[in-house]
Amino acid sequence: MSLTRRAFGAGICGCVLAALARRGFAQARPVEPGRTYIAPGYRPPADSDEKGLWSLLDRVERERKTSRFLVRDVELNAYVREIVCRLAKDHCPDIRGYILRTAQFNASMAPNGMMEVWTGLLLRCNDEAQLAAILGHELGHYLRQHTLERWRDARNKSDFGAFLGLGLAVAGLGAVGQLADLALVASMFAFSRDQEREADEIGLDLITQAGYTPVAAAEVWEQFIAEYQAGTAERSRQLLFATHPEPEERLVALREAAAKRDGARGERGRSRYLAKLAGVRARLIADELALRQYGRTEIVFDRLLAQSPDDGQLWHAKGEVYRLRAGDGDAARALKAYETALGTGNAPPETWRSIMLVELGAGARDRAQAAFDAYLKQKPGAPDADALRMLLSQ
Amino acid sequence: MMPMRSILAAALLLLAAGCAQFTLVTPERQTVGGVISVAPGTKWNKITTPGVEGKVEVWTLDGPALNTLVFFTGVTDGEPLFTRRAAAASGEEKPPVFRSKMNPVEIQELLEATAARYFRTTIAEGRNLKAEPIAGGRGFRFETRLLGRDEVERAGVFVGTIRNGKLYGAWFQGAKLHYFERYLPEFDRLVSSAELVGEAAR
Repeated sequence: MSLTRRAFGAGICGCVLAALARRGFAQARPVEPGRTYIAPGYRPPADSDEKGLWSLLDRVERERKTSRFLVRDVELNAYVREIVCRLAKDHCPDIRGYILRTAQFNASMAPNGMMEVWTGLLLRCNDEAQLAAILGHELGHYLRQHTLERWRDARNKSDFGAFLGLGLAVAGLGAVGQLADLALVASMFAFSRDQEREADEIGLDLITQAGYTPVAAAEVWEQFIAEYQAGTAERSRQLLFATHPEPEERLVALREAAAKRDGARGERGRSRYLAKLAGVRARLIADELALRQYGRTEIVFDRLLAQSPDDGQLWHAKGEVYRLRAGDGDAARALKAYETALGTGNAPPETWRSIMLVELGAGARDRAQAAFDAYLKQKPGAPDADALRMLLSQ
Repeated sequence: MMPMRSILAAALLLLAAGCAQFTLVTPERQTVGGVISVAPGTKWNKITTPGVEGKVEVWTLDGPALNTLVFFTGVTDGEPLFTRRAAAASGEEKPPVFRSKMNPVEIQELLEATAARYFRTTIAEGRNLKAEPIAGGRGFRFETRLLGRDEVERAGVFVGTIRNGKLYGAWFQGAKLHYFERYLPEFDRLVSSAELVGEAAR
């Protein structure tokens, strides 16, 4: 039963990524001016089909609350909630956010007010304004009840069985975060082109009204496109960029819309964002490195380093990309990045561990031993000390 | 829009790909992949159509959802440890690969990343790495912990050795509650019986 609920949840949550991976476009029509939003405090009538949908979602949400992927950092959760409330205003009490430890870039919003924020998104945002832009977009789907619209549309077409069946298939494959699987999902569950455009516009309105920099929405989209273009999954690139020019079109539209809203003015919230993220960022970086998508990860770290050139943690992370890739010339690239990290004065102790591994691989045992000694000096209780000693003794 | 029939057909194909078939492994000396000889102390099931690709053979006692034993039968430089079947065709990024110069710490990192990708999780960790003789030669052993999307915590042990630039090893992992610990002595017994044979012994 839990699989069914999870699958169903996966099917009806709106996804930023799914929007990108969408295979088909609805017929374009003008977005209506003076749009109305769901009322604050809204609950579906007891005898309605929507009530049934909410009941299922409530069960999905109960699972989220006990999930071991849930990030429970109190300060970070309070911070994200603060941003959501700043955007959602009167709707704030209706939104419940869940930060999930998943390395991919994504956020989603269910019609019962359950919002998911994946840690891959948090790692990738330059500042609070960029995170607000994504959250604003998701709130746009919620305020206009886009998911409910799609759900009813699917059911009215007598495709409800397929709707659930495909959701099950996808859940069985553990599709969360996988682009190709999302392509399947997206073709069935995606928002229409009009809905995406409307969510973009609402999101821009929300961040502008909240005092954030409007151009942040276009930036985060541009970053995402650059990252995917650096990926090695050829089919994904084709899916996103060759067959459909929409991401670039959407980028242009977001830039133009931001310009109309006096684009570059407004709050960035960069230092506050980095401070709130500090408690979990090492873990987020490790999760990103575990993806072993070197080209994409290098782009993410380079972009973050361009904003924070004195960040030792990021320089170490950049070195790790090269060490783990282990291609021609990567050992030298890694060492250079580690040296830069040490030069910042705020490199993590693990920088020395990494240097040890690279030097050992190059056969420079004395330098490896010296790096190991420096590592233990900075981290006397290192849990991997015995394992590293074993390497040095072999 | 992709036609509904195509979507359903694709979904059914993908589901079918996830179905496994089994053959019985009797408790007598067995040769795995032509290169590892072991003497299991109980009946195992070899998964003849596993959901993985690579130089591996996969056994289970209670079904792949509860425990698996993955033999690595000579992974060569530039090859992944294993991948999800048809991963490349489904649009996944290129997998991390084994390098013959890797040390045990790097093998542990590689298994962590491989498992994280296969189980689509951020919680896949190795720990307590130490030297351990394997098949009459130098080897290593470490413990694993992973949490799949089903949120079942799985414990595991990996043992391995690199001979002539190829990785040979075995990774037993299962649900921490009952299905791992119950059979850990059987795994240890099996590992202690391991010999490299065929081209691996040359």
